[in-house]
Amino acid sequence: MSATGVLFQGLFRNPLADPFVLGTSGGAALGGAVGIFLIPTLSFAGFSATAVLAFCGSVLTMILVWYLARASGRFAMETLLLAGFAIGTMLNAATVVFELHEEASNSGLRVLAAWLHGQLGIPTWSQVGLLAPLVAISLLLALPVAGRLNTLALGEEYAAQLGVSVGRVRMATVILGSLLTAAAVSLGGLIGFVGLLVPHFLRLLIGPNHVRLLPAAALGGATFLVLADAFARTAFAPTEIPVGVFTAFLGGPAFLYLLNHRSRESRT
Amino acid sequence: MSTILEFRNLSFSLGPRLLLDRMSFAIDKQEMVALVGPNGVGKTTLLKLAARLLKATSGEILLDGKPLAAWSRKQLPRAVALVPQELEMPFHFPVEEIVAQGRVPYQPLFGTGTRADDDAVESAMQAVDILGLRKRAYSELSGGERQRVKIAIGLAQQAELMLLDEPTQHLDVGRQIELIALLRQLNQAGITIIAAVHDLNLVAENFSSTILLTPEPAWFAGSTPEVMHPDLLERAFSVGRSALASYCIEPPAGKFVQAW
Repeated sequence: MSATGVLFQGLFRNPLADPFVLGTSGGAALGGAVGIFLIPTLSFAGFSATAVLAFCGSVLTMILVWYLARASGRFAMETLLLAGFAIGTMLNAATVVFELHEEASNSGLRVLAAWLHGQLGIPTWSQVGLLAPLVAISLLLALPVAGRLNTLALGEEYAAQLGVSVGRVRMATVILGSLLTAAAVSLGGLIGFVGLLVPHFLRLLIGPNHVRLLPAAALGGATFLVLADAFARTAFAPTEIPVGVFTAFLGGPAFLYLLNHRSRESRT
Repeated sequence: MSTILEFRNLSFSLGPRLLLDRMSFAIDKQEMVALVGPNGVGKTTLLKLAARLLKATSGEILLDGKPLAAWSRKQLPRAVALVPQELEMPFHFPVEEIVAQGRVPYQPLFGTGTRADDDAVESAMQAVDILGLRKRAYSELSGGERQRVKIAIGLAQQAELMLLDEPTQHLDVGRQIELIALLRQLNQAGITIIAAVHDLNLVAENFSSTILLTPEPAWFAGSTPEVMHPDLLERAFSVGRSALASYCIEPPAGKFVQAW
């Protein structure tokens, strides 16, 4: 998730981009909801239906958003963002409708609520066996793309002038970012903060170069999440709070501190 | 002297509006050319056409005798560098990493920079005297320092032709003079320079040739004394001859100045 945050923030040249800006969270949520309510017992290769459908939901959303943005004629980053936002909102609304419809039966609601806020299960080995290579390959391919994102920081036109094929970088970033997001979501649900703030955290520490930032984010995000999860499980035992809620509590203040500290530093 | 850039019957329309009308002229190697004209007349457009960021409506541009369209994506930026008017950097990229982007046309997608890349970046930063700024963030730099960083990117590209879009804009008089001195120095070192400039004083004193664009649209290209003729300037800037003669600086275009 953090790696995707780095990729998308670089692509959109905007520090507020996170893995969900392109609407993938909506697709994942709807997929997850379908899994939890309709086929909670089904599983596939060790994955629950929720995980599989969340994965498919985010990837499908991505494809839909990409083609919608392209069909609008003028393919600009703003179109992509707006299409992502619109689709994401629609899908989230669909999820809510679904929730309301299922309210009577109720049993799945709590599960969904927890999942939507991010909850780490213990992955089975077959899950790891499938997702680990996917994540590893995506990260490996993302490294040269990250180099081009440094050029893209000068602006799309400037990057084009320097011989960068902006369209290809854009496509590669979106595909790799979506795969990574989908993989993460299928395991951990929608964990906020990690994708948005961990990249910033690291940028303050090691600078904005995407080639260094990408691996750092992958490692840093994972470390952060494991620690946060350990706390989330034990802090209020026996109540286990969703790790996504916890990351927000833990990371928010820490980030604000660092931000404040850093901006004071650069002023002197 | 041989030709580096040649415009052949080049026209460019923006929607229904004809911006550049059948321009044909050639620029010799190592010339220092000023691009002059009122706002909105197409100076930036002309520079972007020469860097292949825009496509001509008709006609063509030849670089080193070869049509721009025939240059490969990686080869072109090694021959032409466009220094844009504005550069906004998100995040706090340090100067040296920004200048290093000028080496991208030389680097394969997989693989890291070579020794030659590092050397080119170092000498580019040295040429524009920003070695002391290498770790500073671009967003913290002054206008003059930013111009130097942008020029350093172009130097790192090691292009023989440098196109600059209003490099003296937003600079105080002292920084303007420094910047023009820098351009002259680069020109002496063998780089052909085409710069869009607003201050006509700077043009008369420093540029051997001038391209003048007028709103009609018409264009004039030739030696600076030829093109900077009061008749032509009057036509381009639609302002009285006396105002031009006494100030020799581009006054704001339009009715206000005429009334005044």
